[in-house]
Amino acid sequence: MARIEMVNVQKFFGQNQVLKDLHLTIEDGEFVVMLGQSGGGKTTALRAIAGLETVTSGKIVIDGVEVQDRKAADRDIAFVFQSFSLYPHMTVRENIAFPLRAVRMDAAERNRAVNETAETLQIAQHLDRKPSALSGGDMQRVAIGRALVRRPQALLMDEPLGVLDSKLREQMRAEIKRLHIARGSTSVYVTHDQIEAMSLADRIVILHDGVLQQIGAPDEVYLHPKNLFVAKFVGSPVMNIADVQIDGSDVMLKGVSTGFTFAESDLAGLAKSGAGTTLGLRPEAILLTHAETPGYAEAVSTNIEPLGSHDIVDVRLGDTILRVRTESGFVSGEGQPVWVGLDTAQAHFFDNKTELNLRGVA
Amino acid sequence: MADIALQGISKKFGPNTALRGVDIDIKDGEFFVLLGQTGAGKTTTLRVIAGLEKPDTGKVMIEGQDATRWNAAERDVALVLQQYSLYPRLTVRGNLEFPLKSRTQNFTAKEIKERVERVAETLQITRLLDRKVEKLSGGEMQRVSIGRAIVRQPRVFLMDEPLSALDANLRDVLRVELKKLHQELGATFVFVTHDQVEAMSMGDKIGVLDRGKLIQVGTPDDIYARPLNTFVARSVGTPPMNLIDGVLKASKAILDAGGQALPVSNPRGKDGQNIRFGIRPEDVVVAPDAPAEARIFDVENHGVIKILTLDLEGTHVHATVSAQMRVKIDDTVRFGWKPEKVLYFDPANGRNLSLS
Repeated sequence: MARIEMVNVQKFFGQNQVLKDLHLTIEDGEFVVMLGQSGGGKTTALRAIAGLETVTSGKIVIDGVEVQDRKAADRDIAFVFQSFSLYPHMTVRENIAFPLRAVRMDAAERNRAVNETAETLQIAQHLDRKPSALSGGDMQRVAIGRALVRRPQALLMDEPLGVLDSKLREQMRAEIKRLHIARGSTSVYVTHDQIEAMSLADRIVILHDGVLQQIGAPDEVYLHPKNLFVAKFVGSPVMNIADVQIDGSDVMLKGVSTGFTFAESDLAGLAKSGAGTTLGLRPEAILLTHAETPGYAEAVSTNIEPLGSHDIVDVRLGDTILRVRTESGFVSGEGQPVWVGLDTAQAHFFDNKTELNLRGVA
Repeated sequence: MADIALQGISKKFGPNTALRGVDIDIKDGEFFVLLGQTGAGKTTTLRVIAGLEKPDTGKVMIEGQDATRWNAAERDVALVLQQYSLYPRLTVRGNLEFPLKSRTQNFTAKEIKERVERVAETLQITRLLDRKVEKLSGGEMQRVSIGRAIVRQPRVFLMDEPLSALDANLRDVLRVELKKLHQELGATFVFVTHDQVEAMSMGDKIGVLDRGKLIQVGTPDDIYARPLNTFVARSVGTPPMNLIDGVLKASKAILDAGGQALPVSNPRGKDGQNIRFGIRPEDVVVAPDAPAEARIFDVENHGVIKILTLDLEGTHVHATVSAQMRVKIDDTVRFGWKPEKVLYFDPANGRNLSLS
């Protein structure tokens, strides 16, 4: 049980500011994923919550109590690292029991807690083995078990699946999520993998250059990115970006004579932006047809990536190459004429200067 | 430009057999991808073509001539590796000139300059020509490596996972560029990868290798839609094809897990026969009126789609559904499949019964 708040947290490593006025609240029982590139500040934020890193200024509040000056051991928080950091000379049982020995729990109770944890994580059959005899997935299960056995208020995980292969990662991801649901403890999870974030999180916290970019549910972040960074960081293939001119209710791409017509209300206020506007389109927001269609612009296909379940088709529209998601085989090859339309409801506009989304920000 | 044929190539390293009787025909100008896991033999195959490994048995034919005994230099092939292996002290230009300045080549300074500049333009690295290699980003370095291979204008390009050290976005970009480059040069490309997206999206033909054996060669569509066996079926597609054991009975598929019945059309196999049913995640249907029931074990959110893991009494089945579908872990849902998309595999040997 824990509600975690970071209030105006600043962190410097020497001259280098890695957290810039970070302000966020993680609700009790929530699964929050911190997402960003390396150097974005996500691991530092996690370590600051854990007490493994001091903060330069600002407060960290757990259940209403300021803890920024407390040691890690006094925060009742467990931490799982990417490197499993198990004791190689101890058995799995001894590794999991270790945090309980430190608090001098009696042997019978300790055994019960270890067995129960091992059961939950499906590693009961490995209890008397050494870590070196385990697979990568089982080692990480033991590391998670060691973190959970104390029943901490919150579980913090720093890329715990980063070193596992993709199949195992997918499986462990499901297990971590189910474990969270079963235990109901507050979880904070750091990753650079956007699919992992989208799949695990109740809410995603996106950090870039030490600045909080957006915090929101996975769908919110995907459908209503607050700025260009979030828009390009989440989603694969990346969102298409093009400079546009707005002319009444028409949106004009460079080198294209036909504009895309939007409802007037969609564009209200956009044209005023002096710095110019960037149009953002996810590959599924672009519609292709083979025949001339009113409101569509003529383009030519330049590349097809058949992926079996669907194709990614590159089309050249004026000066811009757009990546479009289509059903398999919809465009038969390169150099084909196609007509391009937009799903205007899924179009985003960003201010060229501030990079903020000018529309649909929840 | 060159046809390449491998005929009955076997190769052992000590007690380990790397290749077992591999036959491949690669046509002039083809983009041929060798797909396989670590240890499947794909890099060894590439090195045999390059002349860097001698096969124990079998022949390497280049343009109809037996090239088995030719050394690497005589084969006129260029190799691009995952590690860039550039000369860090030299500039980009220095690296690109290097293969042209070797003693066996007789290029004038003017020819070298022209060739280097043309290659730099093709790869969009002209502005980097006078920079030191160590100052470049990963993507730029890999472009220079490719440039160094192109500059000699070899007949065949051999590429060993050239994109796997790059980050995802850069990989997307270079994938498209490599394909363009192939079209421009018209040369034969043999490209080794473990990444099925690269194989599907780049190859004219894909050869699937498993433990030293070539299992199937075909177009991406052949490999995806008409796999020869369950191994090939699982080697492309994300998530991979679902394989569900069951029995054919009275023109229905009765699944071993839970005994639920799903419709089939045009079934292969006899009534009462055990079948391993293959169905791709995008052909699994989750809808209120679907014939069977399952519990949701996991939901993966990809933004544009969701991938559900359905639990059928311990058997997991992946289903790709629309992002708008509201589902959560432990919900019970109805599911089925598109009967015309079901493949029928022999559970004993994994063979696709529709192809035999």
